Amino acid sequence: MKNRYLVFFLFLMFSLVSQKSDAQEVQSTDEIQKLKQEIEHLKNESETYKPGKSNFLLRGYAHSGLQITDEEFSFVGGSFNPLFIYKQSDRLLFESEWELELTGGEVELAIEYANMSYLLSKNLTFRAGKILVPFGIFVPNLHPAWIHKFSAAPLGAGHDGIIPTNDIGLELRGGSYLGDFKVNYSFYAVNGSQLNDGEENPEEAGILHHAIFPDNNKGKTIGSRIGFFPFSDSSLELGFSGMYGKVGAKETEMEDITALHYAFDFSYVKTLSSLSSVLDLKGQFSAVNVDDANYPFHENPDDLITFDNNSSTWFAQASLRPALAENNFVRSLEFAGRYSTLKTPEGSEWETDQTQIDLGINYWIDWRTVFKMSYRISNGAADEHDEEPDGHGGAEGNAFFFHWAIGF
Amino acid sequence: MKKIPIIIFLFTLLVMIAIISSCRSTSSLAEAKSGAQLWGENCLRCHNSPSPESFSDEAWDVAVMHMRIRANLTEPEAVKIAKFLKTAN
Ligand code: HEC
Repeated sequence: MKNRYLVFFLFLMFSLVSQKSDAQEVQSTDEIQKLKQEIEHLKNESETYKPGKSNFLLRGYAHSGLQITDEEFSFVGGSFNPLFIYKQSDRLLFESEWELELTGGEVELAIEYANMSYLLSKNLTFRAGKILVPFGIFVPNLHPAWIHKFSAAPLGAGHDGIIPTNDIGLELRGGSYLGDFKVNYSFYAVNGSQLNDGEENPEEAGILHHAIFPDNNKGKTIGSRIGFFPFSDSSLELGFSGMYGKVGAKETEMEDITALHYAFDFSYVKTLSSLSSVLDLKGQFSAVNVDDANYPFHENPDDLITFDNNSSTWFAQASLRPALAENNFVRSLEFAGRYSTLKTPEGSEWETDQTQIDLGINYWIDWRTVFKMSYRISNGAADEHDEEPDGHGGAEGNAFFFHWAIGF
Repeated sequence: MKKIPIIIFLFTLLVMIAIISSCRSTSSLAEAKSGAQLWGENCLRCHNSPSPESFSDEAWDVAVMHMRIRANLTEPEAVKIAKFLKTAN
């Protein structure tokens, strides 16, 4: 009898235990499954924090070329521009582009820009640091060698040109809709350009130098650009830019001298299915008016000279790329033409009145690797203010260029 | 005298910021556009348009944010373009 109870008792215990462990098993496989999912989730999340994998991009471009004129046959303009972009969060982004350039046999390192952007709202971004000045379209949108379609920047737009390039300051920018009409805008305050008073170098008296640090005065230069898209497909953009501020050094006679820069730009890019091509038209007119001042005369610095310190420059370019053609070779070709001019003040030591026509054929290896072949016809006086022939426009006489640019 | 243009400019600037930041980040027409269409219209305005296969999802997140700022895209535009690039790569 006793034994029977014992057996029954043991049987009961066993079935309870085994039931429990069955339940436990089910529960633990559920838990394992859950844990697995959690680990997977964490793994994915941790991936996004790995440097170089997710929120950091190392990009940039390099270019170089060959220039052939009546007098010379030389390799020109080697430059390597690494670009660092770091997305800190969904709102915060840091960008910095450096330029390592070979000029006159020496390597120059410059920081083109280094700034932080914070997305304030759906249509407003705040930026601080060294920025590409949002003046017109060439500098902020087209300056990389893989973007502008020629061997060099247009007249007036290079590092030694008359339009502002980069500067340190604060900026608010963004895009919005006024009804169905799109606009974009940028407002900024930067250190501003600096006027060469001719004390040290009378030949350059009256020239404005951009991107020089530290600032020479307390006054900040303010500016803005507004762009309008008249068509709903964003194919046409018309832009207006202005920039105003003191340019003279403080505690000098030039202290109150100001400069007003203004520009009009346009961009029209349209896929023309009838021609199986993309048509790209762009242009920019820029001018600068500096208040009158008396500068030392270079032959006798005790004599003073003055002149209307107004300069202007413009370019217009057109390109056609049969990007929709059937043939791969034809699809990679692009035909491009550009006209550019530069006028600096009459009566100044750096007076010039130049024009350039660039005609080119480009061959695109991929979306940002290109071989450019172009012919340049130059006209007009070129002197002191002329730019280096190595990628910033301004070579005198006619020239052939073979250039390559790679974006990576 | 010299201060007057600066004051006018600053004033216009403030008014513009006030008007613009109250503007909408989209319109009925823009809302109807797909990510693919916005990509086709916007990404070739300055340079050749990169194809979706050019980058991984993570790299697109960074590049599109970079371009949102550079090209002054609104948030809804950038979100749609990024989504398109990430599904088509
Ligand atoms: C307003 C002109 C402009 C528009 C519009 C534009 N880009 Fe760009 N893009 C640039 C410039 C300028 C650079 C080069 C950045 C540099 O080197 O300073 C660039 C670079 C890039 C790069 C290289 C990596 C990087 O972030 O620099 C990618 C990828 C890119 N663009 C994708 C796009 C896509 C996708 C669109 C469409 C949403 C677009 N771009 C629209 C001007 C533009």
